[in-house]
Amino acid sequence: MNHELLARLAELSKEVQGYIYPNEIEIHWSVLIVVYPYLTGLVAGAFILASLVKVFNVEEVQPTYRLSLLTALAFLLIAPLPLLLHLGHPERGYEVLITPNPTSAMAMFGFVYAWYLMAVLLLEVWFAYRKDLILYARQERGLMKWIHRLLALFSNDVSPAAVAFDHKAVKVITIIGIPSAFLLHGYVGFIFGSIKANPWWSSVLMPIVFLFSAIVSGIALVILLYMLITPFRGEPIDMKCLDKMASFLFYAVIVDFSLECLDFIHRLYESEESIKILSQLVMNKLIISLLVMQVLLGMIAPLGIMVSIKLLSLNEELRRLLYFISVLLIQLGIFSTRWNVVIGGQMFSKSLMGLTTYKMEIMGIEGLVTALALLIMPFFVLAVLIKLLPPWDTAPAGVAGERVAA
Amino acid sequence: MINVFRKLPDAVLRLAVVVILLVAAVTTVLSLLPPELKRADLQKAAAVQAELLRPVKYAGVPACAECHEAQYTETKGGYHRNVSCETCHGAAKAHAESPIDIKPPAPRDRAFCPTCHAYNASRPRGFPQINPVMHNPMKACIACHQPHDPKPPTVPGECSACHGEIERTKVVSPHALLDCTTCHTTPESHKVSPRLVRPSKPSSRDFCAQCHGQDAAVEGPPKIEVATHGEKYVCWQCHYAHMPEVHHE
Repeated sequence: MNHELLARLAELSKEVQGYIYPNEIEIHWSVLIVVYPYLTGLVAGAFILASLVKVFNVEEVQPTYRLSLLTALAFLLIAPLPLLLHLGHPERGYEVLITPNPTSAMAMFGFVYAWYLMAVLLLEVWFAYRKDLILYARQERGLMKWIHRLLALFSNDVSPAAVAFDHKAVKVITIIGIPSAFLLHGYVGFIFGSIKANPWWSSVLMPIVFLFSAIVSGIALVILLYMLITPFRGEPIDMKCLDKMASFLFYAVIVDFSLECLDFIHRLYESEESIKILSQLVMNKLIISLLVMQVLLGMIAPLGIMVSIKLLSLNEELRRLLYFISVLLIQLGIFSTRWNVVIGGQMFSKSLMGLTTYKMEIMGIEGLVTALALLIMPFFVLAVLIKLLPPWDTAPAGVAGERVAA
Repeated sequence: MINVFRKLPDAVLRLAVVVILLVAAVTTVLSLLPPELKRADLQKAAAVQAELLRPVKYAGVPACAECHEAQYTETKGGYHRNVSCETCHGAAKAHAESPIDIKPPAPRDRAFCPTCHAYNASRPRGFPQINPVMHNPMKACIACHQPHDPKPPTVPGECSACHGEIERTKVVSPHALLDCTTCHTTPESHKVSPRLVRPSKPSSRDFCAQCHGQDAAVEGPPKIEVATHGEKYVCWQCHYAHMPEVHHE
């Protein structure tokens, strides 16, 4: 055994309380596995927000439709990276594609991801932007012209019939996309929920709780991005749009909170043999991340803020400030939710007799720095996407007359 | 057929081309890959092959028994019957092949036996465990225990020789001053055949009531109303007798 590992285990063994099995001292699913469901959750949530415009005809949130789509795409492109790095040998990642295991729930990610990325998101983005890409290309010179032409697959048809077909296609894809987004994130919850040996995870409510927390985090992220980007562009924030998105966020938070309460009460009422160790886990190891960060700061505080916005007639500036604080708190809360599920589920022994501790690395492939890099990366991807595919409804100069009203 | 294509919108045709190109690219790549990369069964077979190619170091008990029959027979009849010769003497294939030139080690220092016999809470209860610091310090294990037939030189006098965990728990509990035999009737033969002959456990509530009943003559222990307390349960179903709760009044 190497000395470095031995020294690390000796250090960890001091943190163990009660009795744990020897292989439980080190937590194998690290912070990267926390980042993964957080990122995929944002994808699913942002896509659901985009679908509000196209399927449910919520006109108020139209200004964020394309931003939501691009956000979903940017985060989806980075989402598999934490898993790939966690494997320890990212260079062998392609093997999962050429020797797929159709009976493994985990391998399903490959199929669900491919379906969602290729068949849903890329197609919808393409149909949503096709006409604009053609118009941009007509106006531009040099490299950008060719990039836009290539992205439009060299199509050149902006006739009303073609544009009408684009709209129809977007609608159909969104209708297929909603269950797909549910599948993408519900599947992550399914992986945890189906691990019957772990009482912290094993719950049929898990996929649904994951899904609603995903919707909450995705809507909150798009609100945050909208509030940050719009002033930079020198445009006023559309308060109608912001209020409407915040309303949907409010309803999603209520559903998510109710589901989590239901899960909690159900566990207490069932009171299986694991209840003792789980209560120790919550009161001892997760008190800050669960009770303070997830429930108090991430749920109750934003709910309180949003209720007061609804009850009091506050002016626009104060509303904006309060929305901004709420969405930041919600992001913190949802990240804590993922942390509490992934790390919390590994901190108690399968013997139900002891607790261990997670000590995060700082550097290294599974450390804090990698996790932060993975959390920041989607924003860079988004910046590139926004540069290539501007999400604002501004017509390319000189061709405004050609545009067909959306 | 061509007419059908012409009726399709331009966008669909362009996407269809992309999809066809993608499918063609994937199919071509997959067809070019050698089967060893694509087929999991071949990869599993290769992994087994790689394991088989590793050098064999162990000879196995039958090889030892061929020359060391006396030790084999002795070990077979003792507590170490399920321990292979090479567990203590190390991998011995080289020795089996050239018995004169290569001699396997025979560990004699005190650090070796505690690998299995040092006290550890996760070992099965009743497995012989000692505290290497306290147990005949400085003396080699083999001075008292013959490793091929490791009968203790004397029959264990104290239950703690095997039941270390219980002893360590009881010693800090209110029952510290009670002998194990106060509650467990232990036949002498339990010390020789611990798994065949088992000590008894108190089977009625009256047993604990001797000290804990309201009318018990002993002073000091907490008293309860035997008829009503805990109804149909035997005392030790709720109270762990080796560490009963302490009542501070």
